[in-house]
Amino acid sequence: MRSRRHVDHTGEEHGIDLAPMLDFVLNLLIFFIITTSFVREAGITVSRPEAVTAVQEASGNILIAIRPNGEVWMDRRQVDLREVRPLIERLHIERPEDTVIVIADKSAKTGLLAQVMDEVALGGIKEVAVGAGSTGGQ
Amino acid sequence: MLDFVLNLLIFFIITAVFVKELGIDVARHGGAAGGPATGKDTGSISVVVKQSGEILVDNRVVDVRAVRANVERLHAQKPEWGVMVTADQSAETGLLVQVIDQVRQGGVENVSFGTSSR
Repeated sequence: MRSRRHVDHTGEEHGIDLAPMLDFVLNLLIFFIITTSFVREAGITVSRPEAVTAVQEASGNILIAIRPNGEVWMDRRQVDLREVRPLIERLHIERPEDTVIVIADKSAKTGLLAQVMDEVALGGIKEVAVGAGSTGGQ
Repeated sequence: MLDFVLNLLIFFIITAVFVKELGIDVARHGGAAGGPATGKDTGSISVVVKQSGEILVDNRVVDVRAVRANVERLHAQKPEWGVMVTADQSAETGLLVQVIDQVRQGGVENVSFGTSSR
């Protein structure tokens, strides 16, 4: 009833040592779990305006959030409105196919939303969407 | 266990690519970078959002819920026209998105958004 490994000519060996591989795979797994939840997040949660016609943005993966008090968040830190343009320019060079979603809080001012969208457009990304939550039907 | 972990790993690699954000596509008109989204040769249906929260469709005050019906009616008259939503600088984004949502429900996909400067 001995397993096949035991009858190997080495005798003492019990097959491949899986421990280092398991460690490696688990590390990779943890890495992916972390990156999926944090990738290109704006860094804060805002109460999104709800829209029935909201669609999934195919390549919208640069998120800019606008808080009710006028703070602009991008890449997990608060940025000045004037910083948005160089940041977008840099990201646009790195990955030109990325598009931007501006997630403005329900009670944020439209003037700021327009300014942020303009800065993004000046930074070179013409595809800008306004973030919305799905109401799941009215 | 190794099989399970590897499956989990593959699952995360796949989902990482497919995580999508919800949003609505809106063009800008006016402003520093935006041009007219609707063609210059054609007109557009004007929707104005005032600071007080009043909404004007074609210069008539309407309720948020009536925007859809009004846009549908105007869209039927002028099918080639887009909609220009002009919001006051200090109007709330929530209302603006509601209005744009209503317009899109009304069947017009060509929506542009601008702010009124005073």
